[in-house]
Amino acid sequence: MTFDIYLIFDSIPKMLAGMGMTLQLLFLSSFLGLVLGIIILLMRISGRWYLSFPTFVYIYFFRGTPILVQIFVIYHGLPQFEAIRDSVFWPILREPFGCAILALTLNSGAYVSEILRGGYLGVDKGLHEAGKALGLSTPHRFIYVTTPIAVRLAIPAYSNDFISMLKATSLASTITLLDMTGAARTIVAKTFAPYEIFIAAAIIYLVMTWFFQRGFGLFEKRMSRYIKQ
Amino acid sequence: MVVLKVFAVSLVMAVAFGLIGSSAKLSKNRIANKIASAYTIVFRGVPELLVILIFYYGSAITLTSIGRAIYPQTQFVDIAPFWAGAFAIALIVGSYATETFRGAFLGVDPGIIEAARALGLSSLHTFFYIRVPQMWRLALPSVGNHMLSLMKDTALISIIGVEEILYVAEMATAVTLKPFTMYMIVAVIYLGITTVITFVMMALEKHSNRHLAGTR
Amino acid sequence: MNESDQKPIIILEDVCKFFGDFQALRNINLQMKKGERVVVCGPSGSGKSTMIRCINRLEEHDSGRIFVDGSELTSAVKDIDAVRREVGMVFQSFNLFPHLTVINNLMLALKLVRKAKKSKAREIAMHFLERVHIPEQADKWPSQLSGGQQQRVAIARALCMNPEVMLFDEPTSALDPEMISEVLDVMTDLANEGMTMMVITHEMGFARSIADSIVFMDYGEIIESNSPEEFFQNPRSDRTKLFLEQIL
Repeated sequence: MTFDIYLIFDSIPKMLAGMGMTLQLLFLSSFLGLVLGIIILLMRISGRWYLSFPTFVYIYFFRGTPILVQIFVIYHGLPQFEAIRDSVFWPILREPFGCAILALTLNSGAYVSEILRGGYLGVDKGLHEAGKALGLSTPHRFIYVTTPIAVRLAIPAYSNDFISMLKATSLASTITLLDMTGAARTIVAKTFAPYEIFIAAAIIYLVMTWFFQRGFGLFEKRMSRYIKQ
Repeated sequence: MVVLKVFAVSLVMAVAFGLIGSSAKLSKNRIANKIASAYTIVFRGVPELLVILIFYYGSAITLTSIGRAIYPQTQFVDIAPFWAGAFAIALIVGSYATETFRGAFLGVDPGIIEAARALGLSSLHTFFYIRVPQMWRLALPSVGNHMLSLMKDTALISIIGVEEILYVAEMATAVTLKPFTMYMIVAVIYLGITTVITFVMMALEKHSNRHLAGTR
Repeated sequence: MNESDQKPIIILEDVCKFFGDFQALRNINLQMKKGERVVVCGPSGSGKSTMIRCINRLEEHDSGRIFVDGSELTSAVKDIDAVRREVGMVFQSFNLFPHLTVINNLMLALKLVRKAKKSKAREIAMHFLERVHIPEQADKWPSQLSGGQQQRVAIARALCMNPEVMLFDEPTSALDPEMISEVLDVMTDLANEGMTMMVITHEMGFARSIADSIVFMDYGEIIESNSPEEFFQNPRSDRTKLFLEQIL
């Protein structure tokens, strides 16, 4: 068994294309997941049972089942229904990319809403009261007082979830998408050199992870400027 | 059910890796520290699917080469995907457990460790009879989460051909032509298992805290 | 009786200890004979705790020599464990094992270190629980006991190992006032039965009644060491006088 370095060099273009797909999946589903998470959070803390109950079911389902199963249900499973095939969403849902984004977004939304809730609960009650006393309306209080602090508190947990998202994108390779893992698998299938290629892919993932962790760390520092060290 | 077997085997290995890893990280040995740190960084940063693929295909190649060196007629040697998958998942969850256990060990009251040493208990005895029971109580909530992750990761080994529920569902889909139904059943099964795990964890937490009943 | 009465059971010879740049112990010289009761007192930070913890190697002395029952205390693990079997320690914060019942707290070291059989261990444990007057608490969790009861369990736990010497590091300082006497009574009983004891305490009444000698420490040094009468009546150093004024 030889360790073929040149193999890695040859594969770099395909791997870079894969990285592009990985990043697309990551950013798109993280962004949409964040939006979804915020909506779910607002529904959850609304205090109205017909809004919060569905969120409990949603969170329970998406946190209690494997992401792979969620992807399969959406990609392989939805075409079973004529209603879906005839609907306006079909062009998106027919494509593996659309399905992957949908699955990752729904999954992310569940976790992110919990993370944001943690941040929200961590804001000192006294600050809410001070806002009330000053005559700020509820939406104003929420936007200018609660949110900045909740965001800062949520950053560590959110950065963990973001990294998890990065790793979850690799599952898109199971529905034919050529993200980094998908690209790696096709190369390995041709060259029978799992160590070189997969380890190269692993190293790229690690570098990306490190990169994002640094980024979040800096972001958190910036949000914590007002805290005395 | 293959799922449960993988879960059990993986869990045991993961806990072992976690204990070894956290001890290594907390020890004064610089080499152990570095290795343990590398372990947690690598296995928490690389996608689970990739780890499983590396282990399964990688070990196949290595073993085949070794096999060929000994018996030139060898076509293909691999370890059963069950073990490759279980081992890979155990390494991954073990790296998370290392961090959890490390934090929990640091939370143990140093006074009772001193009392144990003062009574003449050896380091090994102190570790198993005093440190681990105390650490376990602090680590339990997080261990519950690790168990849930482990459970969900087992779905991934269907990709390397282990005949667990997802794999079986894929086969069944070809027959029933109702993929949604099949996969939703799989989802509900997983949901059931994770719910059971959650309840078991809640009971375990109550039990492990029973000796605190008198305080506060 | 026998010559071991004459040979000191604990010897500290020119012992020094540093925590970084801070010198916690300066040339400590101390000897204790078997059956002797020594009370150590002094202001906080004077090094009393550090000194007593060096005796069973919970702290490591940096220079000088320490001998316990004839063996020198070094960094060799065999020596340390051998010493710890003969020296019992009672801590200010009790340090009972919270995840074990009272009786199991007592039996653990007996089973693991003395390799006693379960039934024999239980017998010994119950005997000492009776000695400290709380046999009925055997199956309770430490958290269910009062502070005074917990400390008595801690004393029983140390006694189960049949030590030659008992070290007490401010055993009553963490107790509510009404529970101090129950613990001091147990310690007085021990003293009257002839146990070799070194006690760090601020309870001067107790010191006066059971001590053979009182040692005063300040800034890491032993300032004065005397019999109780001499110590309280004729303190030699000014620092001792100042300390006595503050606490009496």
